[in-house]
Amino acid sequence: MPGEPKRLEHPKSVYIIGFIFIIITLTVVIAAAYQITFSPHGPAVLVPIQKKIAESRRSAILDEVRKQEEFEKHRHFHNVVEYPQLPENMRPVCYICHSDSPHSKNKKVRAMLNMHTQFFVCETCHIEKKKGASVVYKWYNPFDENPEGPFFGTSYDPETGNLKEVNDQFSKIAPYFKTDGRLESAIRIQDSDLARDYINVRDRLTPEQRDNVKKKFHVHIKPKGHECKACHIRKSILDFKKLGFASNRAIDIEQLNIKGMITKYEKFYIPNLFK
Amino acid sequence: MEFLRILTKTSLFLAIFLLVSFAVPNANAADKENCLMCHKYRQIGRIDEKGIKRSYYVNENIYANTTHRNVPCRDCHTYINRLPHDPVTEEVNCSNECHIKPPFSKENFSHRKIIKIFNKSVHGIKKGDSEELKAAKPYCKYCHLNPVYRTVAEERIAPTALNRCLNCHERKGVTAAYKHITHRLRRKTSRSPQEIVQLCSKNCHADIEKMEKFKVSKESLEAVETYNESIHGKSVALGSQEAADCVSCHASSAIHDIYKKDDKTSTINIENRTKICKECHDDINERFVQIDVHPKIEDDPILHFVTMNLTVAFYGTVFGLLGLALIETVGRKKDGIKWQIRRGTTWRGRSKHWLKKYGD
Repeated sequence: MPGEPKRLEHPKSVYIIGFIFIIITLTVVIAAAYQITFSPHGPAVLVPIQKKIAESRRSAILDEVRKQEEFEKHRHFHNVVEYPQLPENMRPVCYICHSDSPHSKNKKVRAMLNMHTQFFVCETCHIEKKKGASVVYKWYNPFDENPEGPFFGTSYDPETGNLKEVNDQFSKIAPYFKTDGRLESAIRIQDSDLARDYINVRDRLTPEQRDNVKKKFHVHIKPKGHECKACHIRKSILDFKKLGFASNRAIDIEQLNIKGMITKYEKFYIPNLFK
Repeated sequence: MEFLRILTKTSLFLAIFLLVSFAVPNANAADKENCLMCHKYRQIGRIDEKGIKRSYYVNENIYANTTHRNVPCRDCHTYINRLPHDPVTEEVNCSNECHIKPPFSKENFSHRKIIKIFNKSVHGIKKGDSEELKAAKPYCKYCHLNPVYRTVAEERIAPTALNRCLNCHERKGVTAAYKHITHRLRRKTSRSPQEIVQLCSKNCHADIEKMEKFKVSKESLEAVETYNESIHGKSVALGSQEAADCVSCHASSAIHDIYKKDDKTSTINIENRTKICKECHDDINERFVQIDVHPKIEDDPILHFVTMNLTVAFYGTVFGLLGLALIETVGRKKDGIKWQIRRGTTWRGRSKHWLKKYGD
């Protein structure tokens, strides 16, 4: 109609009100849809289907493992803290078969040996020497080519006396082969060609073939690791100061008496002191 | 010779023990025997013979912020009497007497009193219980992890009040005492209602198979389901910190005195119900306490009818409005009006009726 304002000539407030109205409408629609389908406060019409899918994917092994983990958490009592984990492909190849607690044979020291996996990759202890190359140790972090720390366990918090909390949760001491001044990592991660190939075909291999391939992963690995005294001694194979340990911490590690208790005194008991 | 040998051996053991004790700075006062020298590393542990990962790790910073922070390790782990100790096969007995004396008390601290209350309760192991039932019943660590202090921020105390404490006591001591007291002061339990409901449900009362095995009553079997459908359950599920959780009604301030409702000592026994309801509801009468707190809607025709009506009213309102908007939209589109949301307006153009009446 002549003189009638055009439909698009609205004041700005109308657009804002319209926008708010759309948001409210959408929210109500989404909330109502959720109320009907999944909410425990509504008829939950899709929940039986969801349960059916979950049931079809259910694994008795996984259920049992999770139950045991939950049980163990309470048995342990001392608030277990979850730490960030490396993605599977960035873990060293050892983790294809072994866990973070690989030692189980020697009852006296198995827990102590496993403790070291927080600081070392497996090869740090189990490396086999290579002809024409020396072994040097450096901090290794899969996310950082030259990690600079501070690394956990290298210094004390002067206020509490506890080990200083750090942000770096992944760095570990790892061995490198040194040939003519050139460093070559002695560890292999699951993203390497051999590891990826093995993971792809392992289900198709016969047990014998699988054993054969596993040998390839153990070329520079010796079954028995270093003795405690290789590191916990003044002339340690690890140069703690070079690795960034504070001098008082380095001394404590070098002079740690636990290795003496384990290696020297087969039956070390303190019979009456505690009583 | 024998004496010399014993003397040398004992001196050697003593020297090494002292070295072990002072090799690293003590993490906290409770670790007098320096157990954390080994146990402060997070990977200490092993996979046991059953394939279960056993962790022996104690986070020293977290431990220092728990209610047990002053309890020496061996007050609980009494079976450790040599170093390095053998694989542990015994469990901690929570009724042990600690070697610490709480303030205002001459006796060593012990959980014995609360354990006695627990043992009498429905969760305590009774003489006639089958082995299976004994194994299924909860025990201290089943529900409790080492409680980490949850406190009201210290800044909330009037600074003048805090300053008065500092006239005589060190700030460190005041802070520790403050944490220990306020951890318990805010509600009936230091846990949130959501945590309590989760605790009682998960692996226990929500496990229908387990409950059926022990032939619990129909009411108990459906307790989690009916609670979740109740006003208390819905409020807690929506995040309320005030609504009643399991412990609010089923236990007194002793928390562990849970009994079947027919038991005269039960907080939910009809004789005692007014008292427990009054903890939250001020003005109540005898009729109020008869309201079913765990209603099974399907079993009660009136409740079923009311719920159905409310559901119809709710969905009728929401979908009625949406339906009306949809019918209006379809009608307008049918009339030839375009829907142009992009240009800032919803409807544009003239309807067929308008055009017929007024022309172009």
